[in-house]
Parts: sequence; C-alpha cells; structure tokens
Amino acid sequence: MTGHKKLLIVDDNKDILSTFYEFFNSQGYEVKTAEDGLAALKLLKRKSSHFDCLITDLVMPNISGVGLISIVKKDFPDLRVIAMTGYGDHPGALASEAKADFVFFKPVELSKIEDKICELINQPKIKH
Amino acid sequence: MTTPLIGVSKSILKIKELIKHVANTCLNVLITGETGVGKEVVAQNLYAESARSSKNFVKINCAALPETLLESELYGYEKGAFTGAHKKRPGKFQTADKGVLFLDEIGDMPLSLQSKMLHVLQSGEFSPLGSDQDFKTDVWVIAATNHNLEESMKKKLFREDLFYRLNIIKIDIPPLRNRKDDIPFLIEYYFNVYKSEYPDNLGSRPDSETLAKLCNYPWPGNVRQLQNCIKKQMILNSWEKIFEELPKDDLEIPPHMLKENLPNGAPIYLNPDSANHRTSIISEFVDLSTSSDKLFEDISLKKIKKLASDKVEKEVITFVLEKVGWNRSRASKILKISYKTLLYKMNEFMVQPPV
Repeated sequence: MTGHKKLLIVDDNKDILSTFYEFFNSQGYEVKTAEDGLAALKLLKRKSSHFDCLITDLVMPNISGVGLISIVKKDFPDLRVIAMTGYGDHPGALASEAKADFVFFKPVELSKIEDKICELINQPKIKH
Repeated sequence: MTTPLIGVSKSILKIKELIKHVANTCLNVLITGETGVGKEVVAQNLYAESARSSKNFVKINCAALPETLLESELYGYEKGAFTGAHKKRPGKFQTADKGVLFLDEIGDMPLSLQSKMLHVLQSGEFSPLGSDQDFKTDVWVIAATNHNLEESMKKKLFREDLFYRLNIIKIDIPPLRNRKDDIPFLIEYYFNVYKSEYPDNLGSRPDSETLAKLCNYPWPGNVRQLQNCIKKQMILNSWEKIFEELPKDDLEIPPHMLKENLPNGAPIYLNPDSANHRTSIISEFVDLSTSSDKLFEDISLKKIKKLASDKVEKEVITFVLEKVGWNRSRASKILKISYKTLLYKMNEFMVQPPV
C-alpha cells in the first residue's frame, strides 16, 4: 500500500499507547506515540514530520491534551484532532472549545476511533 | 530582574524546556509544589520568555486576603460600591490587561469566588463591584498552589470545572530533597547574589564536607530555606551555627524516610518535637535504620499492633500481680480476664513471680 497515513497517539498510560499502536499499525497506518503533551509537541515540531491525525488523551502531565489541541490548532491548522477522555464532562468540553474535531468518552472501541479517523482524513477504510 | 531557574536536575531541565514551549501560548498554567520550591520564580520565567514581558506582571495572593477584600482587589470597584469606596479603583484583572495575572495560593480561594473566577476565565469578561458594566480583559492567568487540588476537589473545596480550566499546562516543581543535584548550584547562585548585595560581608563558601552536609539536609522549607541559610551565613560566617539553627529533627530523620515524595506540606515537619516523638515510638517496634524498601516491607500495622499491645499487656499484668502479691486468681478478676487466659498470657510474656 502506498502513502501510509500518519497518526500521532498521545496518552500517559503506556498500556493504552501500546494497544493503540498495535491496532493502528496492523490497520496499515504509520503510528508514532508520545506519553505527554510536551513529547507530542516536540514530535510535531520536527521539520521532517507530517501527521494526518492526532489522537490525544486529555488529562496528562505538563501540557494537557486540551493545551496540546489549542497549540496544534493554531500551529498546524490542517492536522485533524481526536480527543479521548475518561475524566467526566469538563475536559471534554474544554477540548471541544479548543476545536478538537471530535471528542470520545472512554471507554471507546478502537474500530469506532478508526471510523472517525477515516471520516476526518477522507481515507477509505482499509478492508481486510 | 527575573530570578533564573537554577538547577541541573532532570526535573528542572524539563521545566525549563516546557517554559520555552509554552511561554507564547497564553494558555492557563497551574504551578504546583511545596512551599518554597520556587513557584513564583517559574511564573516569572514564563512571563519573561513570553511576548507579554513588556506589559505588567501582577501578583495576588489568594490566601492572604479576606474574601470580600480579595474580590475587590481582583475585580476593582466603582465609587460608592460599598462603605468606604470613596473613589473608583481598578482591580488586578484590569491592571494585568495584556500582561500576566499570577494567582498565588489559588487552592485557598473561597468557593464563592471560584465561580466568579471561572466566569472570567471562560468569557474574558468581568464587572467591578458596584458596576453593571462588563469589561473585556486579556490576561494570561498563571496560578500556583501547594495544595493537592485533586484532593480539594474530592472534598468539594475546589471546583472541578475551575481546576480543569486552569490545569491546561501543569508545572509540578519537585521538593529540593528530591533533586539534591541542584543544591550546589543554588548555593553558588545565592552566594553570588548576597556577595554583590553586601560586598563587605565575609561569609565563606562551604568546604566540601559542609557542602555534603548541606546536600544531605532534607530542606523542608525548600529553596527558600536554603536561600535564608546562605543569607545568614553572609552575616554569621559560621556554618556550624547555621547547622545548629536548622530544625534538628530533620537531620535525625533517617534519609530513606525523606526520599519519598511526601505530600505537600507533610505534617512530619510541622512540629519537630512530635516528629521526633513519633520516630522514637515507631523505632521500638520497627528497625528504622534499614533501606526504605526493607523498611516498608517490615512495617505491617497488624504486626506492630500485636507487638505494641503485647508490650503494654505484659507491663499491666506484672503491675497488677505485684499489687496483689502474685495472687493470680485475684489478678485475673481485676484484669477482667479468665484465670486460664491470665496463666496463658503469663506464660507467653514470661511473667514470673520473683524468686
């Protein structure tokens, strides 16, 4: 397959990160991961990097998901952003306010996230 | 001049990096850490590196003012808003416009004012006391606290919505005892500061032995306490005296007890006497001089309870038996236990009449 779509997944929970990595990798995406907002921002700011979609948790150390979304939407307006939260309504509302393209409330099925990614980046879902 | 962030520890380097990345975002920042770790220094560094550095840095301490005064300080008031409001006065939100508003001790802000604060942060608008007009404000809010706000939220002392709105960027400054590598650099920095402030003072730098001692002290008051010690040294020029004046108890607490990140304002430091008393009681039942891993393995409340109650029971049984001339049947009645139990316990605790 040519032109793998690139995803950046951010979560401070390593188990979630590796689950997401394996799932999306097996679906044919090129996946990078980061454990907090600062690490994600540094990856995004690398000259050579280009991502199609950012999937981020909201409550994290240093730069929170809400902070990351606010920065990303200003500096990388083309990047699609999906937020995930397990902390009730407040962080989710703040993510929407920061113009996240979509907010999921945990727990959420990986296939649903994939559907949303496809919808956001105009990518037909990869059939297996 | 802004006080620089001094240190080479991983945590300080990471904070410096974070400041560079967020100083121009104007996203709300929450700085946490024990008292004296340098929360305001971090706030000032954020401000100094931001595009707002030519505007005002306005600070307000939310714990130092009574509720009504805090409200009028924050939002200002119109002439005649309340008794004594002889003329209009601008609030901090107005003086900090286009600049930074540093809300120190935000964890102590009364709940009633938290909702008003939330409204300003959401809308960027506020109205001074006694005014029905809304004013727009463009301030970068940096808040700080030594409270654990997650705990405060559980106790309903801090609004959840306000917490998440402030916690967009979170900077947690570890206590000094958890970043000992920074201590020599802080000493050198403050030495130079005070040397230039008081050039006639003769205070000498610590020699390597003193430096090791300084690095091993747990610094419950963190950087501020260390800073004060160096200031004192400039005047006293006696490290011996400085150590004498440091709360003794902290020197005696086994270092492994301090390695762990104790919660903010850990009460162990609040009263040196009680802490000393506590360690002496505990040491009767647990060996405190082992490594923290071993110690934590040894500490079992069930085990300690048994050891402690055995110890007291043995003393009480001996006391009563002596009073009644070792008449076991009488002693068991006084102790309100069966004769059989008393014999069993005497055997277990090896309590025997004098030969």
